Amino acid sequence: MDVVATRVFVADKRPFRHLDPLLLLAALALAVVGLVVIYSATRASLVAQQLDPGVFLKRQATFVTLGAAVVLLASSFDFRFAKVYAGFVYLASLVLLMLVRTPLGTTVRGSQRWFQLFGFQLAPSEFAKLALIAILAAVLSELRSADLSLQDVFRTTAIAAAPGLLVFLQPDLGTSIVMVAILVGVLVVAGTRARYLGILALTAIVLIFGAFQVGLVKDYQIARLTAFADPENDPLRAGWNRDQAEIAIGAGGLFGRGYLKGTQTNLDFVPEQHTDFIFTVVGEEFGFAGAFFVLMLFALLIWRAIRIALLAKGPFGTYLAAGIASMFAIQVFVNIGMTLGIMPITGIPLPFVSYGGSSFLTNCAAVGLLLNIHMRRLV
Amino acid sequence: MTGDRAGLRLRVLAGLVAFMFAALTTRLWFLQVLASETYQTEATQNYVRLVGLPAPRGRILDDTGTVLVDNRRSLVVTVNRQAAGENLEEVLYRLSKLLGVRVEELASRVEDPRYYVFQPVPVEVDAPKRVAFYIGEHSDELPGVAWMEVPVRIYPEGTLAAHVLGYLGQISPPQLEDPTFADYQPGDEVGKTGVEAQYEPFLRGTEGLIKLRVNSAGEILSQIGERPPQPGNDVVLTIDADAQRLAEESLSLGLQSAHGIFEGGTGRSLQATGGAVVVIDPTTGAIKALASSPTYDPALFVQSMSSNEYKRRFGAARDYPLLNRAIQGEYPPGSAYKPFVLLSAMRLGMVSVSEYYPCPPFWEVPEDPLEEVFHNWTSANLGSISLAQALWDSCDTVFYPIGYDYWRRFYPPTEPPVEPLQRDLEAMGFGRPTNLDLPFEQDGRVPDAQWKAGIHKDNPEAFPDGRWFPGDFINMSIGQGDTLATPLQIAAAYAAIQNGGRLCVPHVFQQAQRPGGKAIRAWRPRCGRRLPATQAQIEYVRQALTQVPVQGTAAFAFRGFPFSQVWLAGKTGTAEVFGRQDYAWFAAMTKVPGRQYVVMALVEQGGHGSETAAPIVRRVVEGLYGLPITQFASGGATD
Repeated sequence: MDVVATRVFVADKRPFRHLDPLLLLAALALAVVGLVVIYSATRASLVAQQLDPGVFLKRQATFVTLGAAVVLLASSFDFRFAKVYAGFVYLASLVLLMLVRTPLGTTVRGSQRWFQLFGFQLAPSEFAKLALIAILAAVLSELRSADLSLQDVFRTTAIAAAPGLLVFLQPDLGTSIVMVAILVGVLVVAGTRARYLGILALTAIVLIFGAFQVGLVKDYQIARLTAFADPENDPLRAGWNRDQAEIAIGAGGLFGRGYLKGTQTNLDFVPEQHTDFIFTVVGEEFGFAGAFFVLMLFALLIWRAIRIALLAKGPFGTYLAAGIASMFAIQVFVNIGMTLGIMPITGIPLPFVSYGGSSFLTNCAAVGLLLNIHMRRLV
Repeated sequence: MTGDRAGLRLRVLAGLVAFMFAALTTRLWFLQVLASETYQTEATQNYVRLVGLPAPRGRILDDTGTVLVDNRRSLVVTVNRQAAGENLEEVLYRLSKLLGVRVEELASRVEDPRYYVFQPVPVEVDAPKRVAFYIGEHSDELPGVAWMEVPVRIYPEGTLAAHVLGYLGQISPPQLEDPTFADYQPGDEVGKTGVEAQYEPFLRGTEGLIKLRVNSAGEILSQIGERPPQPGNDVVLTIDADAQRLAEESLSLGLQSAHGIFEGGTGRSLQATGGAVVVIDPTTGAIKALASSPTYDPALFVQSMSSNEYKRRFGAARDYPLLNRAIQGEYPPGSAYKPFVLLSAMRLGMVSVSEYYPCPPFWEVPEDPLEEVFHNWTSANLGSISLAQALWDSCDTVFYPIGYDYWRRFYPPTEPPVEPLQRDLEAMGFGRPTNLDLPFEQDGRVPDAQWKAGIHKDNPEAFPDGRWFPGDFINMSIGQGDTLATPLQIAAAYAAIQNGGRLCVPHVFQQAQRPGGKAIRAWRPRCGRRLPATQAQIEYVRQALTQVPVQGTAAFAFRGFPFSQVWLAGKTGTAEVFGRQDYAWFAAMTKVPGRQYVVMALVEQGGHGSETAAPIVRRVVEGLYGLPITQFASGGATD
């Protein structure tokens, strides 16, 4: 380790020459899209309450500014130090996830997920995702043999299960799904045999079934998940939410109804529109053209992440980048899929676009790390 | 490690991601390009609300313009039982505190039998404004509760002419399926009876519409468009409010007076449970007054009613006040029928005006093995009398042989039977509706051989013999047996005698006019049908009837009447109903230069027509022609 660290220090003279401008561009463009649509999503109801229509826009703009600093910070040090501290970061994230369950945490709509700090809500589960990616990458990159044993697979799974369960109990089904996707993504890239992945899946199914039986899964979670399959049966209006989102997007047509002109958006028909359902604003007001453009920005972002995983020097960088790519991909797919009615409704924010500081800053850190790996791919 | 194997696995990851994007894009294409139109429609329906503005119905006026039915605005609170669902009890409890009405009362109002479970039931009318505000702000606590400001009916003259005017109610599901009501919505008010129902198309206004923009919470953001409501057209009636009031008062006084008369047959005073008075213009058939007792308050129908309350107010204990006895009550007409039987017999040449007929106290059917005896109403022997006297003295024993003569001449029946008496009576308007312009009119009954065979076939136990006997004709000759007529049929038939034989369709409609007063439709008199008799025969009967109040059965009731000022002829009737006290009839034809009225009265269980019905008619006539009113006096019980 010492040797590696010394070499890196020497080679790290001017790494910013090796930035990935396309990655930065994709993230920045998505952030700008976010600002534009957050304003549209929140303006009407703020005006109705006689509040400043730009209040959410301004706060998100603050996060974007902070985000730039986070990108800089996350790309400035040699990412391989992260491997050294991954264990501490991981443990720290577990402690935070446990603390948020104590009276220190804030409960919003039945879910205890946030710390109230300086007027901002901080969600430790967002940072925990990155911590999980780091520890998985660190542990898997330390394995000596080329093939992972079943024991390795289960040990790795156990590492992911701890934060996954804590998040699930908040309850935050969405983030635990993201964590599962990260685990699977990293395991695939690390070379886990398909057979072992099958065993893992089987175990998971048994455990999930058990959780239903024991009553660990809340009624509303079951309702939201089944409403996706059976829209007529919607005890908690989950089906209604889904229908409104679909109507908003469908009504957008090819070129949209015009910025600030979507009736579904402006008249408050779509729930949680500035956060989880932000994509409906894009769909309604900018149509297929706008929605496809945003999809392409995400494709660019994820393509760059996978490319960085390929280029990375050493397995740690590869796994780190692959984990980040998996995180982005699952969030985009589940979030947009939910607004289009092909995925169940879970509370997952759309990266860079959804309103929210914790999520935005976590994504910035992830992009910073990707840049970091990219810049240091040659040394 | 970053060898080819890792590269391969990363490509697997990339492929998975590419698949996800392909799925999202496909779905996006479907929603936004292929199915977009549907969603655009749904989005529009989402935020546009159409709110109906109820249009006030047209007013109902009497012949001089007196307003009988008008509108006012009222705040109505409604409860939709289906929308309230399981919370109904809780909702009613909260509503009870809000309205200051007992929960039990609200619960019974909500169970109004006139509304289906999915219809909003008005539980409170004329609620104060603050109630509307409260309901608007606490809609989550009061599911199924709504308020609306609606025009409701008011009756400036109170219960006057209630049976003619009718009342409103929510449209019924069978009506909704009727093409006549194609543009009606569930919950719409519609005329249920009377003029309100008959002239619904004139009276109903055109609903206005407001187009509103709302948000997902249903809060109104702005108004997009408006079409103001068009009030309905006014209907002017032939009914005269003064004549109607006079008729109702006289009927009511007559019933009261009858309650004080002792009836020997039952050993009790007269029950006089109800009655009817009809005033009709014989030249046109225009009805000037149509009274039915007992009556009801049409204003009660503005609010909902529990089924118990409905039964209590309108049931048997109150002698069914909703029944319009003048057109829906079917009674044996008794001697009031005799002029029409006589006209038929005269037409067929069975009797002659130049002959005299014996009027003994009783009469037996010749060659009747049962030796059944038919009595006259009086035990005195009046000797040989003319047909005219047979009418004014109402001699039953002159009419029995006439009835029997129909049997002798036309029976045993041929197939199909020749039944000239029945056909003549039908041509005089009996046994079929007069077609007056009010709903639910009854036909009365002119029994014949076919009818009798029919009821026997339908119910052999109650009617053990389906054959037509001489007694059927004999009873029919004095308006008894199975003969039934409505008071209006009697009035219309006497009107035909007075006007020289034209049978006019009675009517209450004079014209429909726009709210400004411009007439859009007027009644065209329909007097095309004629009585089956010659002018001379009709004139003979009319002249005979002038003697009824002078020296006949109604002489006591009309003592001191100024016949020189008002020409008056009439006929008494006392009809026997099995198990009841006699039903009293009197029909009068009256005339002064330029004005004519037929006035008739019926009193259920009122005893003799001369004693209870005739004084009612006299009082109405005196009122109509501005004569001094004579007090009711008992006595003069003849026919």
